[in-house]
Amino acid sequence: MSETMMIFGGWVAAGLTIFLFSFLYKDNPFFKIAEHLFLGAGMGWVFQTVLFKTWIPKVWMPLTQAPYDFSVLIPALLGLSLVTQFFPKISWVSRYGFTFIMGYGSGLVIPLTISTDFLNQIGGTLTPFMVTSFAGNWLQLLNGSIIAVGFICVLFYFFFSVEHKGAVKKASTVGIYFLMLYFGAAFGNTVMGRFSLLYGRFDDLYKYSGGKYFYATHVILAVLVIYFIVDHFRTKKPAIEEEAA
Amino acid sequence: MKNFIEKLLKIDRRLIFLTLTLLLFIPIVRPLGLPNKNIGTEVKGLYDRIESLPPGSFILLSIDYDPGTRPELHPQAIAVLRHAFRKDLRVGMLTLIAGATGLVEELAERIPKDIAPDKVYGKDYVILPYQPNPAAVMTQVGMDLYKIYDTDRNGLPIKDMEVMKGIRNVKDMGLGICITGTALLDSWVALTGDRYKFPFAGGCTAVSQMGYAPYLQTGQLKGLMGGMKGAADYEGLIGHKEKGTSGIDALNLAHLMVIGLIVMANIMMLWLKYL
Amino acid sequence: MILIKKYIPLALCFLFGVLTLGSYYVPTAASENYMEAMNQWENIVAGFAFLLGLFGLFYSHYNKITRKVDGWGYSLFVYIGFFMMVIPAILSEGKIMEGTTLTSIGWGYRFIYNALASTMFSVLAFYIVSTAYRAFRIKSAQAAVLFVAALIVILGKVPLGQMLWDTTLGWTGTQVSGIVQWLMDVPVVAGRRGIMMGLAIGGIVTGLKIIFGIERQYMGRD
Repeated sequence: MSETMMIFGGWVAAGLTIFLFSFLYKDNPFFKIAEHLFLGAGMGWVFQTVLFKTWIPKVWMPLTQAPYDFSVLIPALLGLSLVTQFFPKISWVSRYGFTFIMGYGSGLVIPLTISTDFLNQIGGTLTPFMVTSFAGNWLQLLNGSIIAVGFICVLFYFFFSVEHKGAVKKASTVGIYFLMLYFGAAFGNTVMGRFSLLYGRFDDLYKYSGGKYFYATHVILAVLVIYFIVDHFRTKKPAIEEEAA
Repeated sequence: MKNFIEKLLKIDRRLIFLTLTLLLFIPIVRPLGLPNKNIGTEVKGLYDRIESLPPGSFILLSIDYDPGTRPELHPQAIAVLRHAFRKDLRVGMLTLIAGATGLVEELAERIPKDIAPDKVYGKDYVILPYQPNPAAVMTQVGMDLYKIYDTDRNGLPIKDMEVMKGIRNVKDMGLGICITGTALLDSWVALTGDRYKFPFAGGCTAVSQMGYAPYLQTGQLKGLMGGMKGAADYEGLIGHKEKGTSGIDALNLAHLMVIGLIVMANIMMLWLKYL
Repeated sequence: MILIKKYIPLALCFLFGVLTLGSYYVPTAASENYMEAMNQWENIVAGFAFLLGLFGLFYSHYNKITRKVDGWGYSLFVYIGFFMMVIPAILSEGKIMEGTTLTSIGWGYRFIYNALASTMFSVLAFYIVSTAYRAFRIKSAQAAVLFVAALIVILGKVPLGQMLWDTTLGWTGTQVSGIVQWLMDVPVVAGRRGIMMGLAIGGIVTGLKIIFGIERQYMGRD
């Protein structure tokens, strides 16, 4: 790919990024174009990936090249049957594809969930108590006890078969506090996660603002600012903006 | 005063957006250069696991993130690859996310360029093609991976490649790592790790990091990198600082801004209520 | 007709469900062969499943264009975006790199799809800050616990936060990163494990209901 195309790519990437960010100021046609492009491009990317990585090598080639394997027609037809969903008269055909997926999926998930998310978790709660002496293990025992108590209390919170009063209510209240600690920690991490993604975009915009890219970020940003100024004066009655969070 | 506080509580959100933009952009232009000192034990766990593998061991690396989570996860993948190649491990990369195929190619482009220029494709590493059904792949690699991966991403047969010598399923591999912004790590743990007693570790977004705490406690996950901090920690451990380290440096001011805003808003609320 | 439309699909679901379930608990050569065949087939079926999304998207935007609803012109860009990816992919035969050179689809990925997808997700950062300012109110003890946990994690994840902690609370002899680690190793395990267990029980029950044909919403209306 030539250097010119890479520079042009920088302009395109910077432009699309700024168009999407422009929604933060207010809704505008540039944002809407970029938003719709995203939907199409995302679907286009998946389409071409599946076309070249699944349909051609796993279906087309076994049917057209030696060694032939016509058994691939069965899953291919089951897969295609899903599309009949969009044609009400024959939508029942899609049930064959769906039941094939659901039966296999359920059969696979049940034993693994029992093992991974059920038995292993009970085992993990008991493991800290598998010590031969208290000395030297008191911290492990203390933390293990906190986990065990918290875990049981959270289960009480989600257990609706008995009325939450008396000891059950107390246990479920303790459970809420453990959940709050989890949600709080998750929120703290979410903040970092979201900022990281934004940092990634800003880092790219900074890259495209360099002389190598002929100051793409600056130019596009300036054009968009001019658009908003012109739009502001052109619009007689500015639309009442919705107050979002 | 009351009016002022009420106005402040209803401040135009665009001013908050602008402040955040400045606080994130300034450290990109002028890095603060603060050292990332405290390494998470779960990151150390992954590092130690790779460190303990004998040269020639095979690592299965599942690159399951798309551009939406790239800033957090791409540095993790690069750091792990760098470490694995430095330890002379063999690497098999795959993806179960269609949107990740381009990122896998970026990694493929960088390996000979700067990650491990001395490593040879087909001898030291291989890149397997995208497959659309994660459950099928995760189950199949536990039995006979050639039944689902007969060729690499370019259509070349993999069975005869030197990198695949002695490898039939996960029992012949040293470690599995899934770097993802989805729930695929859970599936890897259940369908491959637990089922075939295959040591598994992961890299995930900061958003989902806390959700994996039970798997770490039980040992179902041997290690975990969470978000940008996880990447920065791993870069610190291997002594090669890149985007993870510079990223965590850039997040400093914005993090304090969030705390400041929450505290400020709550003080103002209390002021309005009691004073 | 009801046999073909309803009972045979349900029977197939039961059959594949029971066989797959059984192959986990009865690991024989036969069950391994069955699983291998199923894995290969399911992989192909899944390759067609995304067509549901594709058709749904195209159908909805086609309707917008034909009915000329407000903003119908933007719907054209869905198709433009789609062909912007698919045409170069066909020209490049799906290859993102040709040796060390980026192909046209590789270019499209790097400068169009990458920019659009990552920006779409990154915008959430602005809203999380705005929401934190406007809606994060500590009105109860539970909210206070949530805030303290969040505060510690936010501080503990970045070097400046750690420095701030050391400056103000260093006299306590604790390190914020140590507290973050303890949070993750102990109370978070308890909280998350409770949720995990609930989801597991729900998942197992739903799986059994699907196999036995009690849960059949996915089949649509009769």
